[in-house]
Amino acid sequence: MIDIITGIFPYAIAFTIPLLITSLGGLFSERSGVVNIGLEGLMIMGSFSGALTILSLEKVLPHGSIWIGLLVAALTAGVFSLLHAFASIHLKANQIISGTAINMIAGAITVFIARNITGSGNIRIKLGLNRVSVPVLKDIPFIGDMFFTNTYMTTWLVLLILILANFIIYKTSFGLRLRACGEHPQAAAAAGINVFVIRYISVFISGCLAGLGGAIILVTYSGEFNGSVAGLGFLALASLIFGQWKPLGILGATFFFGFASTVANVSQAIPVLATIPAIILKIFPYVVTLIALVVFSKSSQAPKAVGEPFDQGKR
Amino acid sequence: MKNLFKVMVIVTVASLLFVSCSKKTEPTAMAEEKKVALKVGMVTDAGTIDDKSFNQGTWEGILKAGDELGVTVKYLKPVGTTEADYLKEIGNLYDAGYKFIVTPGFKFETTIFKAQDKYADAKFVIIDGTPHNADYSEFRAEKNVISIFFAEHESGFMAGVAAALELKDGKFGFIGGMEIPAVQKFNWGFQQGIIYANENFGTTINLDAENIIYQGTFSDVAAGQQLAAQMFDKGVSAIFCAAGGVGVGAINEAKSRAQAGEEKWIIGVDVDQYSEGIYEGEKSIILTSAMKRIDVAAYDMIAEDLKGAFQGGATLTFNAANNGVGIPAKNPNLSADVTSKVAKVYADVQNGTVVVSAEQGSLIK
Repeated sequence: MIDIITGIFPYAIAFTIPLLITSLGGLFSERSGVVNIGLEGLMIMGSFSGALTILSLEKVLPHGSIWIGLLVAALTAGVFSLLHAFASIHLKANQIISGTAINMIAGAITVFIARNITGSGNIRIKLGLNRVSVPVLKDIPFIGDMFFTNTYMTTWLVLLILILANFIIYKTSFGLRLRACGEHPQAAAAAGINVFVIRYISVFISGCLAGLGGAIILVTYSGEFNGSVAGLGFLALASLIFGQWKPLGILGATFFFGFASTVANVSQAIPVLATIPAIILKIFPYVVTLIALVVFSKSSQAPKAVGEPFDQGKR
Repeated sequence: MKNLFKVMVIVTVASLLFVSCSKKTEPTAMAEEKKVALKVGMVTDAGTIDDKSFNQGTWEGILKAGDELGVTVKYLKPVGTTEADYLKEIGNLYDAGYKFIVTPGFKFETTIFKAQDKYADAKFVIIDGTPHNADYSEFRAEKNVISIFFAEHESGFMAGVAAALELKDGKFGFIGGMEIPAVQKFNWGFQQGIIYANENFGTTINLDAENIIYQGTFSDVAAGQQLAAQMFDKGVSAIFCAAGGVGVGAINEAKSRAQAGEEKWIIGVDVDQYSEGIYEGEKSIILTSAMKRIDVAAYDMIAEDLKGAFQGGATLTFNAANNGVGIPAKNPNLSADVTSKVAKVYADVQNGTVVVSAEQGSLIK
């Protein structure tokens, strides 16, 4: 049993990381008061721009191209998310509709551009990230096998961003302002905070992180952009709610999803698990989430002003 | 904020420029002088036109017919994968004058069953399927329909023999997409190929029941990567993937292991996937591929129709005997010795000395 868990663990972590970083992006946006249902589209955008960048650079810079690709992916998705910011902050549009538009545009325009540039809607990169084992730490029994073998550098990067995000949101004045904008923007405005600017920045950050998530999928386990991220953006949104809009809550929620999905995926290849019907394992995380959402619905920690356009005149 | 808006407008306009500057790559146009009246249409199955598999193979055959035979070609992609979606696109093609319609995939069976009567003066080619009604109570192909099947088991058999001869010993695995006849036949043929190599060439390849898996979709890349990783961790050295997008994940996993110095192989499917497994220079983790020459089938049907030899109502099988299935002509990862042995076995399959069963029999899954 222990062998099975340690055998699955590295892959479960690899599956969790893009989910975690995207969910964290959603957290920035929603804590500032803007619902971001466009995470899926932003991930696709990241995956696409990352793939295109890596494809064009990989001959010259075999390994550097991956990191440049990740950076470009984050920035492109960030810029793309400004469309959502513009519609929902400036034009006071319905944020759900604007986010849905982002999802629809991203899935279509990326394939369109990809086809025009490369002749195919699928962009395959030659090299992904190498898996590395952390020296010394990997020799710790059990824990070493689970956490420090076969890890991607992006995993550590994302965990670093998580710690940083936790710090920014709870320990800095920017974080306080951000949270204030999501709870009571009028009060925040009265205190001299520019709600528009804070919200724009937050949505931009959410775009960057979601784009990074999409590109991480590309450079770790998929190796190909194909115009979709298989609904992980929506799963990230569910994790955000399941994690009650808190960085550490999100870590737990996404890991739960990641681990349960991985178990479901690989169950067929592991004789002990193959006896359980695959369908049960596949629906398990979703059923648990539904139950959890019902249970938590009374004590939801959602930001109070999330989804409401900021209206200076309203008190 | 005004500035921000300006920046966004500039970005949008710039990206439009970018798009309009890039050149058209789809070679739908052809030499004027060769134009003939026939218009050939295609409706895609689930997935895109460039899926590196079924749709793409069919479309490449049609494009080749466009270039060489001068027919006008067009494809339409339905919004969904239901019979109604397919029928709508067939109707659209028909209305636009495309009266030779190719449909790849068993999902078109019920669609063509209806379309053959509705559009009696159009001709249909259905690949991997035969027209029948929704509850399988009536199978009927009119004079305007050709059903094409492939002997996937022979293709899988050849790939199994070649892989076993090259690696000589160790464990193999199989990852299939959905558990449908075409995929099952690949699997059964592959198993027979390994058994044949073990018995006749003294190889010792093991294919355990736990390493034969139908993932259940043709699209779950993540699951493909994770399944392949588990198998490789258990010591499997080569995996035969007949699974579309699931195979993409498996190929990616094998590539990252090859980079790290492990010797892991994938056996490709449908088309020669060698180029997709390249991880360094010209080195690829694709050992060989179990091919179905879908493009040849599509091209041949169009060519025959132009000669007035459309075999309406017939069910055609593309197998080793008519070079419709097999492994690629060039396999850089197979040694010369293996290639010559495989060629002999292929000849035996062609002339019927070696018979590959299309049934499960005593095989696994």
